[in-house]
Amino acid sequence: MAQHEVEISISKTGDVKVHVKGAKGKACLEYAQWLTEVIGTVKSQQMTSELYEPEAKSRINLQQNLKVEDDSA
Amino acid sequence: MSTVLILTPIIIGSWPTISAAVVGAAAALGFTMQKAAQEVLQGAKVEEGVQNVEIELAESEILAQSLAVNQQIVLTKGDIRLTVERDARGRCKVCASGKGRSKEELKQAAEEFTQRLTQCFVYNKVMKELKSKSFQVVNEEVTQDQGIRIHVRRWVD
Repeated sequence: MAQHEVEISISKTGDVKVHVKGAKGKACLEYAQWLTEVIGTVKSQQMTSELYEPEAKSRINLQQNLKVEDDSA
Repeated sequence: MSTVLILTPIIIGSWPTISAAVVGAAAALGFTMQKAAQEVLQGAKVEEGVQNVEIELAESEILAQSLAVNQQIVLTKGDIRLTVERDARGRCKVCASGKGRSKEELKQAAEEFTQRLTQCFVYNKVMKELKSKSFQVVNEEVTQDQGIRIHVRRWVD
């Protein structure tokens, strides 16, 4: 099971900062879209490296493939 | 980290939803809610030296079908009175008035209130939506700069 975390900061002036953690790829974008619909409009968005990481299942497959290549070499 | 969003809130809700945020903001800023808003407004005499300032929440909409005619909330703190109501275009409007107060002082009071109203509205809405998605609250705190920080988590397959 994957752990998805969200940190939401609401300033005293009402501006909102949302930080989605743990969700990768499509899941991360879905959280961002959902929270945007709930709260309002996007002022800015910063993508970090984790967003582009494959989800857990894909990463395992990749590691297995690399291992096979190593064995053959 | 995955993604960081900075969002500008839009306040859209029924009158009860807005009212809940108004009550929260009033409590945070030390305002007292008047029970009979209409009586207060009708009984208010026009006095010399009483200034009025109106502020409209641009990104707001109070759903008309849920709002009774002439429904308002009146808040007082010392000699400052705030009236929260729905204007003709359906937007949330805050009117500040007070004897012996300058327009700048009243504008500042109204702006401070609308900002806190926005904060309360967003908090109420976000918490409701997070619970509907089965998020568990890990931590919740009011920061030194009077912001609210919510940390939630859920496990997914």
